[in-house]
Amino acid sequence: MKGQDGAAEITRQLLEAGVSADDVLRKALMVGMNNIGDKFGRGEAFIPELLIAARAMNASMEHLKPYFDSGEVQHKGSIILGTVAGDLHDIGKNIVRMVLEGDGWKAIDLGSNVPTEKFTDALKEHPCSIVGISALLTTTMVNMEATVREIKEEIPNTRVFIGGAPLTQAFSDKINADGYFPDPHSFAKYISSDK
Amino acid sequence: MPQSSREIVKRCLTFNFPERIPRDLWILPWAKIHHPQAVAEITRRFPNDIVTTDYSGSPSSLGKSDRYKVGYFTDEWGCVFRNILEGAIGEVETPVLQDIADWKSIKPPYELLPTDTNKAYDTISRFYDQTDRFVLANCCPRPWERYQFLRGAENAMIDMMMPDDGPVELMKVIHDFYLKELEFWVKSDVDAVWFMDDWGAQDRLLIQPSLWRELFKPLYRDYCDLAKAYDKFVFMHSDGNISDIFEDLVEVGIDAVNSQLFCMDMAELAKRVKGKITFWGEIDRQFILPSEDTQAGREAVRKVVSHLHSQSGGIIAQLEFGLMANPDTVVAVLEEWDGK
Repeated sequence: MKGQDGAAEITRQLLEAGVSADDVLRKALMVGMNNIGDKFGRGEAFIPELLIAARAMNASMEHLKPYFDSGEVQHKGSIILGTVAGDLHDIGKNIVRMVLEGDGWKAIDLGSNVPTEKFTDALKEHPCSIVGISALLTTTMVNMEATVREIKEEIPNTRVFIGGAPLTQAFSDKINADGYFPDPHSFAKYISSDK
Repeated sequence: MPQSSREIVKRCLTFNFPERIPRDLWILPWAKIHHPQAVAEITRRFPNDIVTTDYSGSPSSLGKSDRYKVGYFTDEWGCVFRNILEGAIGEVETPVLQDIADWKSIKPPYELLPTDTNKAYDTISRFYDQTDRFVLANCCPRPWERYQFLRGAENAMIDMMMPDDGPVELMKVIHDFYLKELEFWVKSDVDAVWFMDDWGAQDRLLIQPSLWRELFKPLYRDYCDLAKAYDKFVFMHSDGNISDIFEDLVEVGIDAVNSQLFCMDMAELAKRVKGKITFWGEIDRQFILPSEDTQAGREAVRKVVSHLHSQSGGIIAQLEFGLMANPDTVVAVLEEWDGK
């Protein structure tokens, strides 16, 4: 790809050629992201490929931002993301953010080691958002239980999803989260179809 | 005459029928802080057969503050880590090398290498002569992890997809330092050198295996070639699922690998590499060791033994008393190993 136009340049060219922002997003960018997501799901792609695709998508999204701002293109919804309190490992959460943004979601990224009140404050600022919490370590994933409970107590009906290397659906069920997803694309597909 | 610890480990590594499975318990600072009595009791009951020599290089003015305290510490390469739990090293928040084009600004800590090598070798020899245990060098090349600490994990992953124009040069800077460090250690009185890099995610390698073979396998081959030229054994650690590269590790000459066996299909691993490399542990740190279920710990040992052990060797009873590990489960695992 060296020396060739990247996703951002091609996006700009398409918009200048009169292709609608919505078509650029849904018929080009999201198709590409779905392809790499499917490859990841089949074990044919690895983290660097996901990251490169997500960064390309984000570069393209910069050109689409004015269309989101004007309302010509709508976000699918908003999602608040963070790693659980006690966990500084954020690469997985960052990939999820990039993939979801590329899938048309507005992401509010609270960073790493996020206490419950930061999630609830963000929910008050962005009502009806979905929450996504990640943990890399078994030693920190246990902190998710209190975080999920406290979010749901303070702002009932909030949907809270979890992800991270050691997590399972059984753990999600145990802590009363709304679901666990092993990779960002299956998560994006689920929340997009479940809106 | 009973075999010494050193002989047991050497026989294990060479598949020459050790009289028992050698032990190697790793005790992390967290365990010493939170379970000092348990640590004392466990180390008394289950002494290690493997020990790291006490010589640790020249004092450096580069590393600042305690690397296990809560807060920030700067290591010898200038990487700033943020720790949020006492006894556990945290993460680099802001990588020092924001732009790969600035790779020439990275200066490895050559001042850590001994200036008076004869004195250093004397110190190491004294240690070696006073123990009958198998001695590991006190250095640990980690080219991939160092690259990530310098560039940040995300940048590092993307760099690997575009290795020209900086990444390869930075890796060479890192690799040359580690080779220099190993050149010192392979001439010393130790039984083995070791290196580490976490290559696995939960279910696969972090990067394409073909890319790993192109960019990193040659580095590890260099380390192994150097060690073998001086008749040293080679140990390696990697977290995560590294099933895809086990044959490569055998091929470059690694004698023992510490990996997260419980992320992988042990039966399949056994078919491929049992008898060709020694499994330096481990017992699952994600679920089993933190659990209060001591029986699960015992069953974990039986699983490893059933798949990977043979009377000729190939297994080291390694486990980690680390973050949130349950002392009773650690004891149960060690008891089970001793019964094998």
